[in-house]
Amino acid sequence: MDPLDTAPPAIETRGLAKRYRKVTALTDCTITVPEGRISALIGPNGAGKTTLLRLLSGLARPSGGEVRVLGGMPRQEPAFLAEIGFVAQEIPLYRRLSAGDHIAAGTHLNPRWDAASVRQRLKSLDVPLGQAVGTLSGGQRAQVALSLTLAKRPRLLLLDEPVAALDPLARRQFLATLADAVAAGGLTVVLSSHLVADLERVCDHLILLAASRVQLCGDIDTVLAEHRVLVGPRKDTTAIERTHRLVQATHTARQSTLLIRGRGPIADPAWESADVGLEELVLGYLGQGAPPAIAHLTTVGEDS
Amino acid sequence: MTWLVWRQHRNQAYVAAAVLAAFAVLLLVTGRQMASQYQSALTSCAAGHTCGNLAGSLTLSTPVMSLLVTLTVVVPCLLGVFWGGPLVAREFETGTTQFAWMQSITRGRWLTAKAGWALLAAAVWAGAVSALVTWWSGPLNALNNQNFQPGQFDIQGIVPIGYALFAVALGIAVGTLLRRTLPALAITIGVFTFLRLVIGQDLRAHYLAPLTMTFNFLHPPALPKGSYWLVSGGLVGPGGQVVSNPAHGGPSISFGGVPVSIANVPAACRTLLFQGPHEFGSCLAARGYYGLITYQPADRYWTFQGIETGIFVALAAALIAVTAVVILRRDA
Repeated sequence: MDPLDTAPPAIETRGLAKRYRKVTALTDCTITVPEGRISALIGPNGAGKTTLLRLLSGLARPSGGEVRVLGGMPRQEPAFLAEIGFVAQEIPLYRRLSAGDHIAAGTHLNPRWDAASVRQRLKSLDVPLGQAVGTLSGGQRAQVALSLTLAKRPRLLLLDEPVAALDPLARRQFLATLADAVAAGGLTVVLSSHLVADLERVCDHLILLAASRVQLCGDIDTVLAEHRVLVGPRKDTTAIERTHRLVQATHTARQSTLLIRGRGPIADPAWESADVGLEELVLGYLGQGAPPAIAHLTTVGEDS
Repeated sequence: MTWLVWRQHRNQAYVAAAVLAAFAVLLLVTGRQMASQYQSALTSCAAGHTCGNLAGSLTLSTPVMSLLVTLTVVVPCLLGVFWGGPLVAREFETGTTQFAWMQSITRGRWLTAKAGWALLAAAVWAGAVSALVTWWSGPLNALNNQNFQPGQFDIQGIVPIGYALFAVALGIAVGTLLRRTLPALAITIGVFTFLRLVIGQDLRAHYLAPLTMTFNFLHPPALPKGSYWLVSGGLVGPGGQVVSNPAHGGPSISFGGVPVSIANVPAACRTLLFQGPHEFGSCLAARGYYGLITYQPADRYWTFQGIETGIFVALAAALIAVTAVVILRRDA
């Protein structure tokens, strides 16, 4: 057994729910993220990604259910906060302060603070340390926010749509910074995004949210192995639905394409079975029709 | 946290210090002139035994300086608007609460540092302005017995510190509840002005029961000594019944500086009204009428300053408590 799997999970929720007056932002959310994973939190706008991350960070309180992060409840306590890094979607920083000011502030506000590494990382990315962060580009600001968060040496890093507003180059640099940090060890990451392709490169775990509910949660390899795409002549699917869960069926005049979950064999030789890719899987869960789902997934910079 | 508070607000602090310094220079220069002018006037009137008329004949301040000093009444409100209102509201607006609250410090410590320094700075700034105004007004207070009068009471002594603490706390609390700066500023101005007016006009006169004094219109009225605060002046009829009282409104006429309400005077005397207070007063005195004033004596000045300051400090404390509960309980 992988030693990581015997360690207590970094994140464990059971029946977690968040309601804002009459709006349900998250309901019946039960997930487990083992330590050391980079988890992709995927879902369309309004699926509850931000809400989940805010509940995990302790910025918001649950309306129901249980949440355990790094073995305890998220709470306003220096010892807990020191272990968590959170970068909100809008990348909030003090606009008039420079990156250097933020680094100095962090020194005063955190027990562990690796100022030297932030400076070095930002210098290597050519981010000016003395300039007000409000005048930096979106990519530079995101790098500043991520570097500041990493300087806390957190054990859990929660990133809400960190790459949504970035151009492809900045996005690549950002994810490279993240990958380096994880390679250094002792870090679990949950990263929400619309952009499945980016996440596929860096993530090994998946949480799929849609309509305030968890659709899938697990290691990406395991999840992919549980799903198959069947292509065959258009016909009744009741036989398959008896042994497998039909996630999505798309039909043309002659042909049907089915996304199914379950490892059992398919008796009917008329179906051709194929492995499923992450993007295909996500679209299958999110969209009854693929095109609108694609539109959702590639929309950049919207609230979720 | 103090480091961050200072880094965030140091420019405001510099501007505030510069404005205060300019104000101090202006008041010190004109205040010294006034003091020496008053001293020489006292010396010369003592020689000629005319000091009784000094208040009527001597003008110490210029209209511009008097206006400027009177306008310091808005200082607490400005502090509430510029320092209190945005303190938390702007952090919510820009999302920086999510940065600050994810550092390894509690929200309680965050609020304590921010609100604590803002309140302290406001108290010091308003206190310095008030100290300058109080010192500058010294000759005027002595000459006109004015420091207990509404308007002067509000800009001298220690009450401006209480007002400033309240205004800043109000701004912080409203900003925390609304999470938006501009509406917070508008509501801060509105609530602060309303409470100041209500407390100043309706409550202050009753902190301690006013004293009463009667006087005869025939003689130059023997009024209270020093800078007492006249709460009301009325007319008492021959049977001892109060026939008019400022609470009833209506016109009044001044006897030795005391405005006496003349709503229900005998018709025979009313026709003498335009011949001057002396004829009018003789007519009233001949018919057995006399004057009645209620007032707060001069020696209650510091008691009243203390009571009013206490009220506003208590309100400020309540508002900070509300803010703390909201910050600790609500989601970021």
